[in-house]
Amino acid sequence: MRLRICHLYPDLLNLYGDRGNVLILHMRAAWRGIEVELDQISIDDRVRFTDYDLVFLGGGADQDQGLVSRDMERKGPLLVEAAEEGVVILSICGGFQLLGRYYRAQDGSVLPGVGLFDIYTEAGRRRLKGNILLDAEPDLREEMEICSPGALSTLVGFENHSGRTFLGNGARPLGRVLRGNGNNGDDRTEGARYRNAFGTYLHGPFLSKNPHFADLLIARALARRHGAVALTPLDDSLEWHAHKVMKKRLQKGCRR
Amino acid sequence: MPARKGFTAGLRFLLAFWAARLAALACRLIGYPGTSLPGVVALKLCPGVVEFLASYYERVLAVTGTNGKTTTSNLLAHFLRGAGLAVAHNAEGANMLPGVAAALIRDCNRLGRPRSRVAVLEVDEGSVGRVFPAAKPVIVVVTNYFRDQLDRYWELERTTGLLRSTLASLPKVTLILNADDPLVAAVGRDLANARYYGINRENGHNGGDGECAVNTVDSTTGPYSGVSGETREGRYCTSCGTELVYRYFHYGQLGDYFCPGCGFRRPEPDLAASCVEEGEHLDFTVRVGAQTLKPVSARPEFKAGMHGGAGDQPANTVLHFTAPLRGFYNVYNILAAAAAASALGVPLEAVRKSLLDYRPATGRMEEFTLGGRPCTLALIKNPAGVNEVLKTILETGTAKSLVLAINDLAADGRDVSWLWDADFARLADGQVKKIVCAGLRAADMAVCLKYAGVPPERLMLAPGRAESLRALAEQEGEELFVLATYTNLFDYARLLRRAGKEGGKSASQDLPSLS
Repeated sequence: MRLRICHLYPDLLNLYGDRGNVLILHMRAAWRGIEVELDQISIDDRVRFTDYDLVFLGGGADQDQGLVSRDMERKGPLLVEAAEEGVVILSICGGFQLLGRYYRAQDGSVLPGVGLFDIYTEAGRRRLKGNILLDAEPDLREEMEICSPGALSTLVGFENHSGRTFLGNGARPLGRVLRGNGNNGDDRTEGARYRNAFGTYLHGPFLSKNPHFADLLIARALARRHGAVALTPLDDSLEWHAHKVMKKRLQKGCRR
Repeated sequence: MPARKGFTAGLRFLLAFWAARLAALACRLIGYPGTSLPGVVALKLCPGVVEFLASYYERVLAVTGTNGKTTTSNLLAHFLRGAGLAVAHNAEGANMLPGVAAALIRDCNRLGRPRSRVAVLEVDEGSVGRVFPAAKPVIVVVTNYFRDQLDRYWELERTTGLLRSTLASLPKVTLILNADDPLVAAVGRDLANARYYGINRENGHNGGDGECAVNTVDSTTGPYSGVSGETREGRYCTSCGTELVYRYFHYGQLGDYFCPGCGFRRPEPDLAASCVEEGEHLDFTVRVGAQTLKPVSARPEFKAGMHGGAGDQPANTVLHFTAPLRGFYNVYNILAAAAAASALGVPLEAVRKSLLDYRPATGRMEEFTLGGRPCTLALIKNPAGVNEVLKTILETGTAKSLVLAINDLAADGRDVSWLWDADFARLADGQVKKIVCAGLRAADMAVCLKYAGVPPERLMLAPGRAESLRALAEQEGEELFVLATYTNLFDYARLLRRAGKEGGKSASQDLPSLS
């Protein structure tokens, strides 16, 4: 069995240790004897996203994000097509915003997005940052429990964004915010998803303390070509320990 | 408040000065280091205190950048003192406006007048906008720019942009810039009063045959190349956005680069090192560039005050430097400090001599003894710094165990995801026997190491500081290391100092529990 991963713009969208997510997916597949093929795709590279099982996009600095959004005018429609075909996509922070309908900057100018998620983002003044705890949506919770028996229903990470993201009718969140800000600091939603595409503001990197979500992504990525796959359980005691330490801290009311 | 030396302003300053002195005394009494608090108090009462005091110094020198600020400014103060100058300096690394205020107040006599003639200020890269306009440095040294504490500084563009806009209001300043870092060198682009230092890969003028040690970029040891390995900043030209082309890298984005788009290239260094040999000491050759290095606007009375004479460093002068420091990155710190000292007229020969008796600052590869074995304490705070420290400690190849202590308090950076941008895969090497993960984010560190390929049986969790040192003392290895983020550093230094004093007899047994 093979897992084909496309790391999109690894040279530009590489802030906040987000590449760790790719490493985690890679290792969790490799530890189960699944062969991993990893391609790094950047500006001007030609790509067929449907050739991959999983596409990853991280967050980047403003200048680099500008370069990416120009390149996305070409790649965007291909990525939407791949999402429609069920390719698994994970996008973090800046990458998440890029996949929305648009981003409205402080000065009112509008940067069009790919439109994969029915979301839009508006620049805010205050930066929303700190550790964050979510309760995953019930269907995701069930699915994570199947991929990773005994999994917790929570997700933890660190958010750091000034954009406020709002969900349209066609997008569902990843979870409800228990501690922290989430998409916009108001409606307690965090992240967005559409078919097998996911977007979130969680860094950490996101998958480092959420092994259940990493396995959900791997299981869905393999299912497209191999049908339902039962993943061999791994020893995740360290990951769960890290998850619980942060969860406890947040539940005590200490966001820092 | 502007620095008016009028009567009311003077009175106000004196009030602030004495309040700060009292605060410092109170700190000492309760055993708190008090590197910033007196400054906070003084700034409350007299917001112009830094401007007021700085105006008394003949020269104010500032050191900023991401990594190497403390070592560079400590070296610079050491070189200047070696040349017979009295120097005020925020040596403890309290590098924001309150820390600078506290250091200048500490330098004052009882009448509130500075005793020293020169101030060497380490300035946090996010604070240059507040400190520079007040302190009005005549020389600004910039070390390098790497991603660091993204939750505080956001992206690098903001940090470099802040420096540029601040410098625009200080037209007379002489810049001492790292030629090898395109993000730093770009700051001096089109500026006449910029000097550059850098490390040359070439063999200098020794001829083509005598190969000298060259610090090459190690290929990554990670599970797969590309995703692991070093993250390079500034891949694209800051002026025109074209991807930079490199002849070679030293580490990170430091190397010999040029821009095919607009012709921006690594400036020819005015002071260059080559033939760097690493080991217990650093050995390297230093060469003055094609231009004579002249002191910047040295006033006669200033020159006369210095022992050993002051003057020009003729072009192409070659010296051999030996430094009691470890780590290739320290060559940059030494060059930066030497260039700044020579800009004040200190001869390079005096710098060379003075370097021999330099002692590293707290936690900059500081050496202790733990359970009869050498134990080195090093500060880690961002990916580029971690990578250099890891390269240095793995250089020897001997069996070793280490503590990695990660906190996430304000001074450490609240977000620990930067750990994943560092090349911890290097620690999967067999010479590393055990890694004790400590600090508030011990678990995050352990997870990161697990995915970096360190076998789980070599990992252990011991969050408390004393607890982690006790655990470390029991591990295998000829050498021990403690790598700690900022808020852990001073407590580890204190515990290690105490353990060292108690000698070889089960040194760590009696440590108080701090966890």
